[in-house]
Amino acid sequence: MTVAPERLQASFPNAHHGVSADGIPYVLVRPENIAETARAARDELGYVRWVDLTAVDEPDVEPRFELQYLLYSMAERRWLRLKTQTDDKVPSVTGVFPGANWYEREVFDLFGVEFEGHPDLTRIMMPDDWQGHPLRRDYPIGGEAVDFTVTREILGTGGGNELRG
Amino acid sequence: MVLETHRIRNTLHINMGPQHPSTHGVLRVELELDGEVVVSCKPIIGYLHTGIEKTFETMGYLQGLTLTDRMDYLNPMGNNLAYCLSIEKLFECEIPERAIVGRVLLAELTRINSHLVFVGTAGLDLGASSVFLYCLREREKLQDLFEWLSGQRMMTSHIRPGGLASDFEPEWLTACDAFLDEMPKRIDEYESLLTNNPLFKERMIGIGVLSAEDAIAYGVTGPMLRACGVAQDLRKTNPYLGYETYDFDAIVADGGDCYARYKVRVAELRETVKIAKQALKRLPGGPVKTSNRKVMPPPREELGTSMEAVIHHFKLFTEGIRPPAGEAYVPIESPRGELGFYIVSDGSGKPVRVHERAPTFANVQALPLMAEGGLVADLIAVIASIDPVMGEVDR
Amino acid sequence: MTMELPVTSPSRGGHVRDGGPGFGLSKLADWSREKSLWPATFGLACCAIEMMAASAANYDIARFGSEVFRASPRQADLMIVSGRVSQKMAPVLREIYDQMPEPKWVIAMGDCASCGGVFNNYALIQGVDKIVPVDVYIPGCPPRPESLIDGILKLKTEIGKGLR
Repeated sequence: MTVAPERLQASFPNAHHGVSADGIPYVLVRPENIAETARAARDELGYVRWVDLTAVDEPDVEPRFELQYLLYSMAERRWLRLKTQTDDKVPSVTGVFPGANWYEREVFDLFGVEFEGHPDLTRIMMPDDWQGHPLRRDYPIGGEAVDFTVTREILGTGGGNELRG
Repeated sequence: MVLETHRIRNTLHINMGPQHPSTHGVLRVELELDGEVVVSCKPIIGYLHTGIEKTFETMGYLQGLTLTDRMDYLNPMGNNLAYCLSIEKLFECEIPERAIVGRVLLAELTRINSHLVFVGTAGLDLGASSVFLYCLREREKLQDLFEWLSGQRMMTSHIRPGGLASDFEPEWLTACDAFLDEMPKRIDEYESLLTNNPLFKERMIGIGVLSAEDAIAYGVTGPMLRACGVAQDLRKTNPYLGYETYDFDAIVADGGDCYARYKVRVAELRETVKIAKQALKRLPGGPVKTSNRKVMPPPREELGTSMEAVIHHFKLFTEGIRPPAGEAYVPIESPRGELGFYIVSDGSGKPVRVHERAPTFANVQALPLMAEGGLVADLIAVIASIDPVMGEVDR
Repeated sequence: MTMELPVTSPSRGGHVRDGGPGFGLSKLADWSREKSLWPATFGLACCAIEMMAASAANYDIARFGSEVFRASPRQADLMIVSGRVSQKMAPVLREIYDQMPEPKWVIAMGDCASCGGVFNNYALIQGVDKIVPVDVYIPGCPPRPESLIDGILKLKTEIGKGLR
């Protein structure tokens, strides 16, 4: 994966630029600009194939969520990462890439980030009445305490079925 | 006087799944039917959500490797490979040549395994139950090979960060060679049952058409995209593990219908056997584990003589491997499309975030484009041709 | 004409689940239930692949009487829960179980169905016995087809002795 940072610097002059450890260049933009950045990446730079959207939660940092969009250019055979940071909401890119639909629903379900303009922002993985957003770092892993004798002695639990933190 | 007849359209809302013999796992589809015609089709997922991505954050990288097998459970070593490639990218560690070629061999054998399930279940969903038994016969031979090699039939976790878990025995290589020699004949057998079968063709040709523009905008990859005429195969466009040195074709078909997807996968079966044979032939000698002591422990013989080896061994088995801080995404071409693990490390023994870019997640999202306007029976054929594995969709 | 009303084990709440056919034909009924145990298709995840392998030609549970996997739970008497049961799937599983007519049995195939398996987290029911009564637990991740067959055979032996 070769890098052409000069062209990216020219197209997105107000963004932060960098290259990740895997050689994929990234462009960090403000949340309100993400949809037009995606559109420019698709129409002007040729990153037509939608690949991925996910989020990374760092609760000690302001803003807490960093969204990672991944696009691919079939002509140049390389990826581009778009990043944006938010605490709560971001415009949806489903108008640019219809494939972002379920990905945004997943980030909403598991992280709680809202996507403005999404046609159907509902939970996708968890049941519809689930409370909380599981992939946040401050959400407990859940499950049950393993019922070893030593667990019973130390924790005073008995018989399992207690939630673990 | 003109009599206007207004046709009141009564549509039937019907639910298909999540427990259904033909949904390839726990996929639920909400259908609106006008007679037999699908007016709208909405796939609903999440019935197999296992919280794997969060579980990664609670354990070390090597322990997390065992979770990757269980995501796309028809392509376990492919998942292992994608995970290890991302970790090794963070480490920038060198992998010995024997391990690289061995990984190609194992990845291609796993691809054979996955495509065999596709051919079998595609036939089974459309009513041709014999081909399912034939495909599973070959799968049993492959699973015997995997069990010989690693001890496990399916979830081998044999591809580890830094190389392979253990080396190949010469007898295993001979058995693998014999298996690959008889495969082309077997593929002919499956083709004789399905490819020119008039019933199969009637049910698959022209059904579930997906245009190339839609596929690209939705993020569809793999045989589904290649069946739309787009030559996108990561082994050719962004090669890893030295795939550029192997002689094989990336199969592309036209039409974007179910039959084209079937033809692409069957032709890929043949190409995969070719690649595996080349890998087997060129397997060089040498170790299968990296010498980078931050990634793989030293061999046991060294522990008796070298203090440094003991310290490395101790640190690796108490703290686990600690990739340098950063993010890496190195995708592979899985039997379903572009599969990659996006790993964010902060330099400690547990990852900050592991996210799998699952190809079927995008492929199933495109289901309404293919199924709406068709018949209910065609929906079964379309789902079969997507070859979904819900384990990676829901993770 | 005696109607035997067996009381079931406490693990199932001890309630009467099946009235029996009467005329002392219970033994015949038990024999026929044991010899033709038809599972419902309930493959969830990776264990389903090994269940498919168990029903294919190499291992073949049809020779033990499980000739067909019935798609409709109303026609099945065995539910093999093969795979992990997520929060969203749990009510569906219970509904399928409730639709099966008595007598019915449940096999928890694999570690995830038995106890949550490797996934001790928020997303999975930690063992399907939290929502349905289980008769046989088959460990393994995934269990070999032979393990599944062993579990089915153990269940059949118990059914032959009158387990309901």
